[in-house]
Amino acid sequence: MTAATTNPAVLRATNVRKTYQLGRLRVPVLRGVNIDVRRGEFVAILGASGSGKSTLLHLLGGLDAADKATTDTGPASIEFDGNDLIRLSTGRLDEYRRRRVGFVFQFYHLLPELTVLQNVTIAAMTAMGKLEYWSKRGEVRAHASALLERVGLGHRLLHRPAELSGGERQRVAIARALVNKPDLLLADEPTGNLDRVTGASILDLFTDLHKAGQTIVVVTHDEATAARADRVVRLVDGSVQPS
Amino acid sequence: MYQFLLTHRYLTSKVMPLLAALAVALCTAMVIIVWSVMGGFLVMLINSGRTLVGDVTVSWPITGFAHYEELIKRLEADPDVAAATPTIETYGLIGLPDGRTETVMIKGVDGPSYTEVTDFASTLHWKPIDKPHAKDTFSEDPRLANHTLWNFVFEGGKRLVRFEKPERGNVAAEKPGAVLGISVSGFNIREQWGFYPGQARARQPDGTVKPVQTILPVDGNVTINVLPMDSKGRAVDMVARSFPVANEFHSGLYEIDHKTVFVPLASLQDMLKMNRATKVATGSGVAINEKGEEVFTAPTVIGEDPARVTNVLVRGKTQSFESAAADKLADKVGVIYRQFAKDFEGQVPPSTSIRILTWEDQNRTMINAVRKETALVLFIFSFVSMTAVFLVLAIFWAMVSEKTKDIGILRAIGASRTGVAGTWLLYGAAIGLLGAVVGFGIAYGVVTNINAIHEWLGEKLGLYIWDPKVYYFSRIPSDLNATHVTIVLAGGVLASCVGALWPALRAARMSPVRALRFE
Ligand SMILES: Nc1ncnc2c1ncn2[C@@H]1O[C@H](COP(=O)(O)OP(=O)(O)OP(=O)(O)O)[C@@H](O)[C@H]1O
Ligand SMILES: [Mg+2]
Repeated sequence: MTAATTNPAVLRATNVRKTYQLGRLRVPVLRGVNIDVRRGEFVAILGASGSGKSTLLHLLGGLDAADKATTDTGPASIEFDGNDLIRLSTGRLDEYRRRRVGFVFQFYHLLPELTVLQNVTIAAMTAMGKLEYWSKRGEVRAHASALLERVGLGHRLLHRPAELSGGERQRVAIARALVNKPDLLLADEPTGNLDRVTGASILDLFTDLHKAGQTIVVVTHDEATAARADRVVRLVDGSVQPS
Repeated sequence: MYQFLLTHRYLTSKVMPLLAALAVALCTAMVIIVWSVMGGFLVMLINSGRTLVGDVTVSWPITGFAHYEELIKRLEADPDVAAATPTIETYGLIGLPDGRTETVMIKGVDGPSYTEVTDFASTLHWKPIDKPHAKDTFSEDPRLANHTLWNFVFEGGKRLVRFEKPERGNVAAEKPGAVLGISVSGFNIREQWGFYPGQARARQPDGTVKPVQTILPVDGNVTINVLPMDSKGRAVDMVARSFPVANEFHSGLYEIDHKTVFVPLASLQDMLKMNRATKVATGSGVAINEKGEEVFTAPTVIGEDPARVTNVLVRGKTQSFESAAADKLADKVGVIYRQFAKDFEGQVPPSTSIRILTWEDQNRTMINAVRKETALVLFIFSFVSMTAVFLVLAIFWAMVSEKTKDIGILRAIGASRTGVAGTWLLYGAAIGLLGAVVGFGIAYGVVTNINAIHEWLGEKLGLYIWDPKVYYFSRIPSDLNATHVTIVLAGGVLASCVGALWPALRAARMSPVRALRFE
């Protein structure tokens, strides 16, 4: 446990629900999740496969919409910096994804046509106007290269994702997630597809980032991964188990 | 900014967009070609229609009207009128040297003034030429040599006279001659691609075609038969007269070249009894003498019937293809005629019934038919192009579906819906633009070489789509109109944008997570 646990919360999810509609069938996946993430904290969400970890992380990252609150379920909110993501307009939500969070996926999700460097700079481009990017393109490129250098890919800048190993692709994804200096880094099973050694090196990277002050939420089903975190939140059947 | 980066990357790394661009290219090319050819057809039709009728015609068919010299004098006094000329138009029969008789339009014209009002002189076929026709690979055209002879024939054509070989002394005799449409005699056999080889050939009774030595009908004479009418419109007996052939003309309009014969105005007036005549009292000229015998006496002259023509053609000073210019001139002619009719009341047709027609009025049926045909063909081809738009749409649908995951990624890293849709709009525009440029290139190549291509098809595959007999013109006309081209190209780009935008909007509306999971 570090001092971060006493910092103010950057993200506070209250009574978050998510139900999938499969034809006529309503599949409740999240049944009222409450979770706080404090500034500078490294939180691991641990749960079995199918427990709804990814679903939760998507909601926290603004990638999907939580259920609207009803009278039976009670009020729900995902507060970030004084805003409630559940009630945010599409435009503001785009803005949130663009500048405030960085997302790392289990399957990397890089754009295959772009080079490693472009995969990182494109995230910076989305956050800038054309003119702004044009005037700062040198800076952006330098910053992206520095990030790639930091994740150990300084020599692969002009390669295509298809030419990289899984671990290397995940490093590119991490660099992309960090390029806009997000308040919050969300990672969904970042090592799920990697062997133990490679996975460990990725986790070392997270630990380093955390030490440098980055707020991180990692989703995993692996106890060893969770052990790296300041705090572990257990998700069972769509709700957080009291620790 | 990322939109440009992605568009560039997508364009350079896939075959699909090139296929889409090709579809756009072929469609735009097709529509441009059709429009250019049909448009060219119309322009050529209008031009050819004008060639032999001047800008405005004052017309009183069949019986004709008198005092035309005075009308012409008054017309030519107007500052907007360049020249005016009297003509007679009538239908008649032509007897050809090989025994055939054909129905033709017979026009009596006054050579010198007619050549001023119309482009008659330039349509004359038998004249000296310096360069052989593009198809005349062996320079067999007889007009290339013997320029003195051809100059004679050309000059004779302009004045509608034939210079006969001097029988006595060395003074060539001039006889009024006829100028035939090039296809009237049947001696000038046109190649399938519309070229007159120059060497006239005659169809033999057994069906074969043999070159003939003289380019003008064998004994040089044709017989013109017309049906004269008196000033009340009653038919008098058929009149026949033999004319030597002075020249032949080639307007390019098959209907005209096949069915028109020019003769000197004076001759036709004479034949049709439209020339100046003395009127005598009925019963005068014959008297009964004391012996009860009929004797001829000098007839009592009671007046004079002035010469008549059916048309007066007018050429304006400003040469314009705008119908408005001709309409303006027609109004002027109308005003002049009104005064003329007032001054000659009772002797000339009243201004309320005289027909004053512009070149466009005269060719209205033909021009309108082609306009309608152009519209119809364009409509059909635009419809065909709709298929292509759907093809483009289908290709884009496939491309966007394939790239839905990319859209999910872009949305996940914060790209807005409009930003993502904009990427595809840009992509569609780029493909559309590429297609349009290539399409224009294809269309330009085809349109400017359409006759060469047509001939090549004819030579290699025996495929002659353009039969000059059906299509008035011997060459496939074309007119690459900038406005039309712009419309078509813009349409192509627009179709691509729509084709790309629709599936892209659908993908952009998905939540990022759904897009990421899209298979
Ligand atoms: N789009 C969807 N439609 C319907 N059901 C869904 C959808 N997405 C997820 N689910 C269901 O929600 C449940 C939780 O899924 P989720 O991906 O959040 O689990 P997870 O905890 O991340 O599992 P894993 O460890 O295997 O990644 C699963 O039972 C899954 O079938
Ligand atoms: Mg998961």
